[in-house]
Amino acid sequence: MDKSVVKELRGIVGKQHVQSAPEEVALYAYDATPFAPLARPDAVVFPGSAEEVAAVLQLANRAGFPVVPRGAGSGLTGGARPVAGGVVLSTQRLNRILKLDPDNLQIVVQPGVITEDLQDHVEAAGLFYPPDPQSREYCTIGGNLAENAGGPRAVKYGVTRAYVLAVQAVLPEGTLVRLGARTVKSVVGYDLLSLLVGSEGTLGIVTEATLRLIPLPESRGTLLSVFDDMRAAAAAVAATFKSGVLPAAIEFMDRASIRCVEEYEPAGLPRDAAAVLVVEVDGSPPEVERSAKKVESVMRKCGARQVRTSAGEDEAEVLWKARRAVGPALARIAPIKVNEDIVVPLSRLPEAVAGIHDLAGQNRVECACFGHAGDGNIHVNLLVDTGDPDALQRADRAVDSIFDLVIKLQGSITGEHGVGTTKQRFIGLELKPEVIAAMVRIKQTLDPRGVLNPGKIFPES
Amino acid sequence: MAVCPVYSVARREAYVARGKLMLIQAHREGDPALTRKYRQVITSCLLCGSCTQSCPNQVDTAAVVQAARAELVAGKKIGWFKRFVLKRILPSWRLLPALLRGARRSRALWAKKIPEDSGLYIRFSGKPRRRIPPIARKFFLSRDESSVPHTPQKPPGTGLKVAVFVGCVSNYLRPQAAEATVRVLEELGADVWVPRGQGCCGLPSFGVGEMESARKLAARNLEALMPADGPIPDTITTPCASCAAMLKEHLPELLPDEPRARELAERVVPFSRLAAKLGGGAVKGEKVAGPLVCFHDPCHLSRTFGEKDAPRQLLTSMPRAGFIEMDHPCKCCGHGGSFNVAHYDLSQAIARRKVESVLSSGADLLVTECSGCLIQLAEAVGRKRPGFEVITTPEALFRFKFDKPTSPP
Repeated sequence: MDKSVVKELRGIVGKQHVQSAPEEVALYAYDATPFAPLARPDAVVFPGSAEEVAAVLQLANRAGFPVVPRGAGSGLTGGARPVAGGVVLSTQRLNRILKLDPDNLQIVVQPGVITEDLQDHVEAAGLFYPPDPQSREYCTIGGNLAENAGGPRAVKYGVTRAYVLAVQAVLPEGTLVRLGARTVKSVVGYDLLSLLVGSEGTLGIVTEATLRLIPLPESRGTLLSVFDDMRAAAAAVAATFKSGVLPAAIEFMDRASIRCVEEYEPAGLPRDAAAVLVVEVDGSPPEVERSAKKVESVMRKCGARQVRTSAGEDEAEVLWKARRAVGPALARIAPIKVNEDIVVPLSRLPEAVAGIHDLAGQNRVECACFGHAGDGNIHVNLLVDTGDPDALQRADRAVDSIFDLVIKLQGSITGEHGVGTTKQRFIGLELKPEVIAAMVRIKQTLDPRGVLNPGKIFPES
Repeated sequence: MAVCPVYSVARREAYVARGKLMLIQAHREGDPALTRKYRQVITSCLLCGSCTQSCPNQVDTAAVVQAARAELVAGKKIGWFKRFVLKRILPSWRLLPALLRGARRSRALWAKKIPEDSGLYIRFSGKPRRRIPPIARKFFLSRDESSVPHTPQKPPGTGLKVAVFVGCVSNYLRPQAAEATVRVLEELGADVWVPRGQGCCGLPSFGVGEMESARKLAARNLEALMPADGPIPDTITTPCASCAAMLKEHLPELLPDEPRARELAERVVPFSRLAAKLGGGAVKGEKVAGPLVCFHDPCHLSRTFGEKDAPRQLLTSMPRAGFIEMDHPCKCCGHGGSFNVAHYDLSQAIARRKVESVLSSGADLLVTECSGCLIQLAEAVGRKRPGFEVITTPEALFRFKFDKPTSPP
């Protein structure tokens, strides 16, 4: 990168907020994607205001370099990794909660705010921000918006998009705009806000977000149901909804996941089970009691050999910590885990889970499945032993056939993690060429010079 | 990233385990070289172990960083002043005390007394002004047998033989901590002595990677605590958990050919664990009205020794003071030894969060069991609430339990 460009960047954000030494930029080549980084950025900038972000993008358009936005770098699909040098734009300095507005059930935050900090803040005021990606202890709101993050609670409460009222964002050419409205409803013009949320940082950089809050549920109850048959567990999910209960979360863990967790942070999950379902119901105490009873009866009818209702908040937290620990616990088994988050319609869930295990087995790859069964969203983890030379290829083949299966079952290849770079070559399985072409045209219209996070989502033509 | 105290205030990859490990690995693969920026990243770790504690694979980032620092030192990549202090001053049993005595006499030149308490502001240290405890008039180890036992007091075979290692802060700045350690353990029936010849535990050198002086100090302390011809203690204890960790974990590593080194390590027990074992947590006497204390868990105590219960057992048993838990007592205070010097601003930013916890707990005093934590928190809390006392566990026990209560006038 030209020295004069670095100088201009320093002029925009301040000398101490630009990093361009090799030791510094090396640390921004990766995120949490488990593969080797592709390219180092030429510089990393830490803007302190929306105006600075806009100025950086304007400079990028003038000088012709890519800009890759980055929150905590906790993404799993390469969204924050540069593919061809350029500037990584970190939102870490934009990390303030600006205003909690309890009367309007809203909160205004900067993109670098950590999700859990936001949730703690609003819960202290009796309010609730439901989207709970399992990396919430360190992931940022900006990243959540870019990926339209989900989490276990999405089954009842919806994904991040449902909670974004308005944003201030910088469009790829460097224009600072406000999208959305402070009111819950508004239908003026095109819904550019929806276009932005989930666009993986390719259509704009959010510099401020107005998020919707709801009242904090009074209480919650958590049930653990143990199954000897994976298909039965998967079928119990749809049965729960049919019984009239809408749980706050309904999570699935297969035998491999259970064993991993118990090795790492034991929560008393039964190691011999084929699968467990962790169900959470919330609401007023009588509602919770009634729903919990209904869920228990459904589980048993579907063949659960044991149903355990948590006695209190502490025990519930143990179960949830165990669920959150699956990701890290799997890392203990194999250094690389190929991590897919497929979704299928609920009625096809039993088929999907069984099929995935079969395909993994056929390719001699160990597989652990867990996740948001309530949405039909399963995180498929193929565990790759780096010592085994063939293992990664076999895992790739397994992924190919798994995606084929998912499409056949009318599902989607990614429910939450996004496409990034890791799933680029698969989007044709799900999107017809004319759809992709339309999307690419939109991207080109908003970003004619292809400056903002290039090389993501759509394969280069 | 969820637990690193440095990342929580700095929010950059260089300040979190993942970034450090990436950088060290990249360096080992040839790129980048040992540049100043590389050194900056390597020095910006507290070695607190929070990352290891929550890592599913228990990656020992602190050990990796420490090894990287040793490489820097071996490659002469640390400043000459730092090298001078670590190689020549700290290990010297003559030079360091002499310098400190001189500093004490000349303190009017470089320090000003803090009006509300006994601490000192260092002049010319910029904003905010750095504070330290005052330098003691008589260093603890120099006191003679009339006030400090330097050899076992009871015949062999009677009472648990406990050798006390005091550490630099208790020796030079806060002898009351060492004194209380001796007195409390005596009250609990141990045969306590403070072997002469001990020096700095060597952690400052070790932490920075200055292995030569760390080794010299280890050898010296080994001879003082487990003399070839002299009384061998059953237990070795210290009011500073960092000294304890150094003696237990790293002294044997530094002296691999000395079987006595392993024997020394086996005997090391942090003060609160020992005092609790000797019955120090037994409730004695009726509770009277008194101040509330809270406890900050030093990283070396709660993580290295896995000890969280013993201090609380002790502090809840004191008749003349009550105990209250602060928020996040185990969160690192941000001192991190050399970190505090190399990254003062970050260190204070981390400390500020602890200050909030301390002051919002409702406690009147803070108790902790590490010299580094004590100095760090005394400085940080003192800035917000001048005169707020931070003392060690033995001092609290002595003052609120074992000392004769001062009778009302």
